[in-house]
Amino acid sequence: MVSMCAALVVTGATALTGCNKDDGAARVGSDGKPIYKIGFQGPLTGESSAIGVNMENGVKLAVKQANARGDLAFHVEYAASDDAGSPDQSPAAAQKLIDDESVVGLVGPAFSGAAKASGRLYSEAGLVSVSHASNPGLPELGFRSFVRSVPNDNAQGGAMVTYFTRQLKTKKVYVVDDKSEYGVGLSKVAEKQLKEAGVEVVKAGVPAKTPDYTAAATAVKHSGADALIYNGLYSDAAPFAKKLKDVGFDKPKIASDGTYDKKFTELAGDAAEGWLLTCQCLDANVDPGTKQFAEDYKTEYKAPPGLYSAESYDATNLIIEQIKALGGGDGGDVRREAVLEKVKKADYKGLTRQFSFKENGEFAGNGIYLSEVKGGRITLKGNVDTLVSAG
Amino acid sequence: MSTLNDTSAVTAVQVAHLPVSTASTASTASTASTASTVSFRPARPSAEALAALRGHRWYERPRWRRLCALTAVGVLLAVMTGEQGSGADLLFSLRTTFTGTALWAWIAAAVALWAIAEFGAVPRRAVASGARAAAAPLARIRPALDSSPRLRVALVVAGLAAAVLLPLLFDRSTNQVLVDWVGIYVLLALGLNVVIGWAGLLDLGFVAFFAIGSYSTAFWSGQLPVKPPFELNPFLSIPVAMVTCLLAGILLGAPTLRLRGDYLAIVTLGFHEIIYLIAKNAESVTGGSLGVFGIPHFSVDLGPLQYRWGLDPLDYLWLLIGLITVLVLLFRKLVRSKIGRTWEAIREDEVAAAAHGVDTVKYKLMAFAIGASTSGVAGAVYASKVGFINPENFPLLYSVLVLAYVIFGGMGSIPGVLLGAALLAYLPHGLKDVVDQKDRFMYLGALLVVMMIYRPQGLLPARRRRRTVRTREAS
Amino acid sequence: MTLLEFRDYLVPGLALGALYSVIAIGYTLVYGVLKLINFAHSEVFMLGGFGALIVLTEVAPGHPSGLVSVLLVLLGLVVSGLVGAGTAFGLEKVAYRPLRKRNAPALIFLISAIGASFFLYNLAGKLFGRDPKAMPALFDNGVLFHVLGAPVDVVKLLLIVAALAMIVGLDLLVRRTKLGSAIRAVAQDPEAAGLMGVDIDRIVSRTFVIGGVLGGIAGFLFGLNSQVSFTMGFIPGITAFAAAVLGGIGNLRGAMLGGMLLGLVETYNVPLFGEEWRYVAAFAVLVLVLMFRPTGILGAKLGRTA
Repeated sequence: MVSMCAALVVTGATALTGCNKDDGAARVGSDGKPIYKIGFQGPLTGESSAIGVNMENGVKLAVKQANARGDLAFHVEYAASDDAGSPDQSPAAAQKLIDDESVVGLVGPAFSGAAKASGRLYSEAGLVSVSHASNPGLPELGFRSFVRSVPNDNAQGGAMVTYFTRQLKTKKVYVVDDKSEYGVGLSKVAEKQLKEAGVEVVKAGVPAKTPDYTAAATAVKHSGADALIYNGLYSDAAPFAKKLKDVGFDKPKIASDGTYDKKFTELAGDAAEGWLLTCQCLDANVDPGTKQFAEDYKTEYKAPPGLYSAESYDATNLIIEQIKALGGGDGGDVRREAVLEKVKKADYKGLTRQFSFKENGEFAGNGIYLSEVKGGRITLKGNVDTLVSAG
Repeated sequence: MSTLNDTSAVTAVQVAHLPVSTASTASTASTASTASTVSFRPARPSAEALAALRGHRWYERPRWRRLCALTAVGVLLAVMTGEQGSGADLLFSLRTTFTGTALWAWIAAAVALWAIAEFGAVPRRAVASGARAAAAPLARIRPALDSSPRLRVALVVAGLAAAVLLPLLFDRSTNQVLVDWVGIYVLLALGLNVVIGWAGLLDLGFVAFFAIGSYSTAFWSGQLPVKPPFELNPFLSIPVAMVTCLLAGILLGAPTLRLRGDYLAIVTLGFHEIIYLIAKNAESVTGGSLGVFGIPHFSVDLGPLQYRWGLDPLDYLWLLIGLITVLVLLFRKLVRSKIGRTWEAIREDEVAAAAHGVDTVKYKLMAFAIGASTSGVAGAVYASKVGFINPENFPLLYSVLVLAYVIFGGMGSIPGVLLGAALLAYLPHGLKDVVDQKDRFMYLGALLVVMMIYRPQGLLPARRRRRTVRTREAS
Repeated sequence: MTLLEFRDYLVPGLALGALYSVIAIGYTLVYGVLKLINFAHSEVFMLGGFGALIVLTEVAPGHPSGLVSVLLVLLGLVVSGLVGAGTAFGLEKVAYRPLRKRNAPALIFLISAIGASFFLYNLAGKLFGRDPKAMPALFDNGVLFHVLGAPVDVVKLLLIVAALAMIVGLDLLVRRTKLGSAIRAVAQDPEAAGLMGVDIDRIVSRTFVIGGVLGGIAGFLFGLNSQVSFTMGFIPGITAFAAAVLGGIGNLRGAMLGGMLLGLVETYNVPLFGEEWRYVAAFAVLVLVLMFRPTGILGAKLGRTA
């Protein structure tokens, strides 16, 4: 009965609200230049906020520099929306950016779960979302505005396996994830490919924030595996690495891009030594191409760039570049749909890599790099494919 | 009194002398005065005079203690509003705060406030009487409402009309929050209110039932890895989720409800954790950390009446308002029935109730099951609205938060719970544009503490509770 | 599980159990005197860790060894204990005492505690950054000796020894000193204790301080074993609270026993069922025990039975 009433009321009221989407007329700054906003959706609070802040800072820095350069016919502003990295806060966070008509492009959502929960909304609004979420299934969900700025986990999981099976000839691999959507997704890929290569797999989940990793490390040691894959974030990889060292597990260890962060070496100290790290990215702190960025970042935030800072910086510049190409500020059409189309067809060279996208928003091309922790520093070994074929 | 402990030394050492039976400071003083109120009420000396009698040092006098406290609050506020900390330099935030000028502004404000409160007798009195005059109509509202049912109905109708019509004026992001957080959590708080406000059972794992409701909806829509025998119309998943949660509530309640108070609290908390971990780890059943995607929107398909809910949050908001209204009407009936009175008896004195032949376990179980099925409704609506759920939607923290909402609003009082949950659930989103987003939950925590100190009975306490708190405070 | 495996999990299990015991005592002490779940105890633990981290980061040289290591560890213990005590003291003063003066029902305390907990950990995140931080290296964590062939490294030994020392010290304090008998008196019957001349406010405050010292030190030890972050209190806090209930809340020895038991259950769960079921195992044990002994293993002896 009530639902029927509600339905009736709803029908009436939808007619009232009708179409409140306007044509995206941009706000105009004091000097007459239009203002376009770049949004960011990611975890600024909660457990994963450290990563969110890394990304946010990258976006903010790009926005600031774009305005400071002074060669744009428009102003760029930054609009943040916190989703705490969690799917439940994601729709509201997304809507906040969608409602702000001057937001024409978005970096994020940072996490796969949040991306799934808000994808329908962004698609409806036609607001392009350049995301770092790397879960392989995402482009298949039919979000037309989803674009991925990193290779998906299939590529990365595959690279780990290739390196282990072809280079190190391992027989039994222990695969650990942090039970997050990210880690579990990667572990699935790795497990599948390892089994296909005829390698024995032991799989375990060690939830993030486990108070004591000694038991998990002991289990690794007792399994008799001759290599370890860890799929999770540096904040959990570090205590795990420490305990692996304490129990005396000295076989090859490889970790995914969530661990590829200078803080991993800081937190784990000596225990990080010898860990192999895969990433679709280059470390902004060591790579010559990102040196200037790293310095600027340090001056701005009093801390070195972290995981995905440089990628977020790139993604932001990518969007700004497309607005410019559309003729933003010179009478060009910079509505969301136009930006979405333009970004999907973009071919942009950023600090970290070349960006272009497939039709379904998947990152085109891949480049998985392998690094090793040596003397407390993450040092690049090179592209996995080249390493394997050379060896 | 003053002769017994005229030296502060006595106060200092008496802790160490347990058997010494000399009467002492605050606690015994209050015990003594409570005893004496039975027969007559002596003129209470002012706090200042008492302090003077006790021979405290000047800085121990209330006036100066208030200064210290206010200054401390000023410093704390300066720290709270200071710079965000930096990853590389641990003390960065504190250092900038304590070398900056904002600190002194805060302290100056605190001292000024103190000076006005202490010495500005005239303005203080004016402010006090002004506030009283302003609050007078407010204070009259409650008795007026209590005595006139017609007024109550009018108020409720007006509130309902506002709830239905006002969202038309809001932008979609506000409505998104109103559905995802306010509506859903009001529903949850209503359910928890039955368990804790009426039956007096401390449940720290309430959101587990919300999860069960959501997953049951996902199951019957055929999106889980395990397939249902037949797929249900999404709208039918509401009653199904209710029944599922009802059963889950009974399953959990039956073995554990003979535990009391804090023991029950930890067991329910454990129950939540177990449900959460099953959702996360049992991949072949629940989809694990990857969650469930593609839960369809509600749709009604009854001959001429057809409607599909969509991405617009307004549809869901009105649905929620409808559901909440129905539940409030039902619960009002329930609490005034024999069941409600039995709950009250159990809550106030379980042993006495049992001694009078009340089957306490049965009634407690009933409260548990009713609360659980309410959150089942919330789960079904939520799953259908967002279309995607994963275990991170149901962290332990939310169980704790719902509890805070209920108490904040006023345990046992339906208007209180509605208002409390609505306000607190909205707060973090309302604060988004006011303070640094990262600090929202810090302010929420501070608000909870301040509220509990100054208004422990909640925003709109139940009539009975108002009495209890008053008698408690008088004693 | 082979005997070899069984052996290797024993020391980690005991060390974790020792840590839980120390935190659980903080809950149980406060529960004893106030009948209140001090939900914010986990933040005392977290701030203790941060206190030690800040001071040690300032003073610790690169790779200390020998006597310097010992001194640094002692410094860490002292600082974390002081910070923990200070936090607990302030907490009681601000978040609980006003409520006690009003004779507020227990639930109000719980919400106030939850609010304080939210406030403190978010404040810590804001002030010190939201990244996890590593304790500076205080010593070289090698294997010291073997017990029945199971290796014992420095951190684990330190955890166990420090926890045992604190537990024994506390037990003596509560049973032998006048402060201890005052605490027990307040736990048994606050009104009578008040009439007998016990300054209840002061005893409550000191109880919080004692619990705070233990909690703070536990935070430091936890940080040494793993790392320090603003959210680190939540999980150990909940587990330790469960441990206190398991042993019989309000009962000191119960808390120790409960902590040890949960530490062992969680650790042995890893080879048996897998790490992801850690808390399921812990809570399953808790529910089972409570079904047969509704007031915990040892019963709520120190306070009145609920």
